[in-house]
Amino acid sequence: MTGLPAIKVEKLVKRFGKTTVLNGIDLVVERGQVTCLLGPSGSGKSTLLRCVALLEEANEGFIEINGTPLGFASGPNGERVRLPAAETQKVRAHIGMVFQQFNLWPHMTALGNVAEALVTVRGMPRKDAEQRAMAQLSKVGLSDRAGHYPSELSGGQQQRVAIARALALDPDIMLFDEPTSSLDPELTGEVLNVMRDLAESGMTMLVVTHEIGFAASVGSKIVFLDQGKLIVEGKPEEVFGKPRHERIDQFLDTYLDRGAATLL
Amino acid sequence: MTFDLDLIILYLPDIFRALGVTILLWLAGSALGIILGFVVAVARRYGPRWLDLALFAPVELIRGTPFLVQIFLLYYGGPFIGLSLDSISAGLLGLTIYGAAYYSELWRSGFVAIPKGHIEAAQCVGFNRTQTLRRIILPEMTMLLLPSMVNMTILMLKETAILSIISVPELTLAVSALGTKHYAFVEGFAILALIYWALVETCSAMGRYAESRLSKYRFAAS
Amino acid sequence: MSWKLFWLLVEAARLTVLLSVISITIGFLLSSLVCAAVMSTNRWARIGGKLFVSFFRGTPLLVQLLLIYYLLPQIGLNVPSEVAAIVGMSLCTAAYQAEILRGGFSSVPKGLVEAANMCGFSKFATFRRIRLPIAVQLTIPALISEAIMMLKSSSLVSVVGVVELSRMAQDLAASTYRPLELFAAAGLIYLIINLVVAGFGLKLEKRMQWGRI
Repeated sequence: MTGLPAIKVEKLVKRFGKTTVLNGIDLVVERGQVTCLLGPSGSGKSTLLRCVALLEEANEGFIEINGTPLGFASGPNGERVRLPAAETQKVRAHIGMVFQQFNLWPHMTALGNVAEALVTVRGMPRKDAEQRAMAQLSKVGLSDRAGHYPSELSGGQQQRVAIARALALDPDIMLFDEPTSSLDPELTGEVLNVMRDLAESGMTMLVVTHEIGFAASVGSKIVFLDQGKLIVEGKPEEVFGKPRHERIDQFLDTYLDRGAATLL
Repeated sequence: MTFDLDLIILYLPDIFRALGVTILLWLAGSALGIILGFVVAVARRYGPRWLDLALFAPVELIRGTPFLVQIFLLYYGGPFIGLSLDSISAGLLGLTIYGAAYYSELWRSGFVAIPKGHIEAAQCVGFNRTQTLRRIILPEMTMLLLPSMVNMTILMLKETAILSIISVPELTLAVSALGTKHYAFVEGFAILALIYWALVETCSAMGRYAESRLSKYRFAAS
Repeated sequence: MSWKLFWLLVEAARLTVLLSVISITIGFLLSSLVCAAVMSTNRWARIGGKLFVSFFRGTPLLVQLLLIYYLLPQIGLNVPSEVAAIVGMSLCTAAYQAEILRGGFSSVPKGLVEAANMCGFSKFATFRRIRLPIAVQLTIPALISEAIMMLKSSSLVSVVGVVELSRMAQDLAASTYRPLELFAAAGLIYLIINLVVAGFGLKLEKRMQWGRI
């Protein structure tokens, strides 16, 4: 397993009806690194993430997780061969995901949310699962809110519970789909801090985000997508430092402010 | 249990006449109920407070009791308070009042469902209350209420069957009578069910068509 | 109106409530099966389920009751009219409840199902632990409304000879020549029963509040 990239995406194409959202993407996410996907709306970055999570099935191309094919393998003539569900589930168990809308289950407490998969999927006895869950909640700083329902938590707290829920299953890769986009500005900090700590602990992360500051400081690699194509990729200094690709200038102008591109 | 086609053909005119009565009562009752319900809803929402309270009781009474009991009250109890109606008139009156109570609640929910912002925008460009009602509120409400109004109207069709119990010469009575006469109850009621089913499905389909045609006027707001 | 008459109505009302409760319960169990059929991946189950719902929602309950009342003896089931009434009402309410449940399931936010998917839940586990509890909480108001509708519709079983509240009122009205008082009293009793059920429904909703979804 050492030496193999955590995620390898090869010539991925995804169409929704007549629209091609991903137009042949090649991407490599190295072990222990934080890769940030940036780009304007409609660039396909969320779709790419969801394909890696196998929440969407790509039309062409292949994905490998730790060297093992995910969902589809390459047949003798290079065609896509669907792999059996049990195999795919095993590969997916390495991946955890955090959603923009948190997606906490409203009829369970924070503790319940984090422990649920351990009980239902891994077959752990509830007491042990709840212990593990409490430990996970402490790591994200929410052990005092364990008995609260999602409706009683702020957005930032809910997202942190969602992160704890994903981490409880011991993934070695974490996917984040615009984790702070639904949060009020004051609450993004607490979530970004948790993600920062996670990165420092060596977790492999693939993050779709608009938080350019976070991407620049925590990201090991920036990948810039536009209209389904990979435009630029590289270390933050390479991508954001001058001379910049003109699409990045346009992007910064739109997402930070007019004229921001000249400041940075 | 034989299916006699000749028999059916023989009675076709009677069945059509009865079907006509059913459809007439249904459409007239629904239309009058929608109008009366609208009047009640407007009175309750835009009228004086005492009127709202005064209308609350009859509406809740009608919605909280079975249609059958209301019809009995009207038809058998009516003469005791000077209201002697034949079965068809009693049926139409009963259906109208029953429908009006339910339709008025639908109208009221429609009034509340329009975002205040739309009304404020109308006031800002200088509409008075009548113009706002006519040009903004009513069109938007019609679109919002179409599904539930269609549902209620379908319900009204099914309720017309109950009028057979006070001998209104509508479809259920006609087919039951035929069934009794020829001792073919199951066939009779089966056909009866199929006829209603066809009517209901047609009405539903028309409702869905109307909805799809109006869907472009849906709210753009998220 | 004399107490004796009113009491006779109340006694008959007990049968109304009993029949309704039994029918609603059987109907609920049946509706869960029908809803599962309508949402299943099996084409025939879907078609069968949809036909069932379409038929029992698309025809008047009165006609359904009459049909079943005369059909059962023809297929060899000679049961008392109360049983025929329960069969008829159960089938009818099952169709309405199945439609309500289906609406509830489609209102479960897809993100919650995706989260379960990502955590490795099987389809059955997702259904049992996530979709079902949330759908039930979403549909309780509509199910209570349906229960109230059934209580009112139970008046129709009077035509197949069950002496529940409506029939009792009819018989007494005919024998005492006082339809006004008797039907008004019957109406009042129905109203009270419905208010009690509505109140119970509100309490149930409050108990199951984990806040907005």
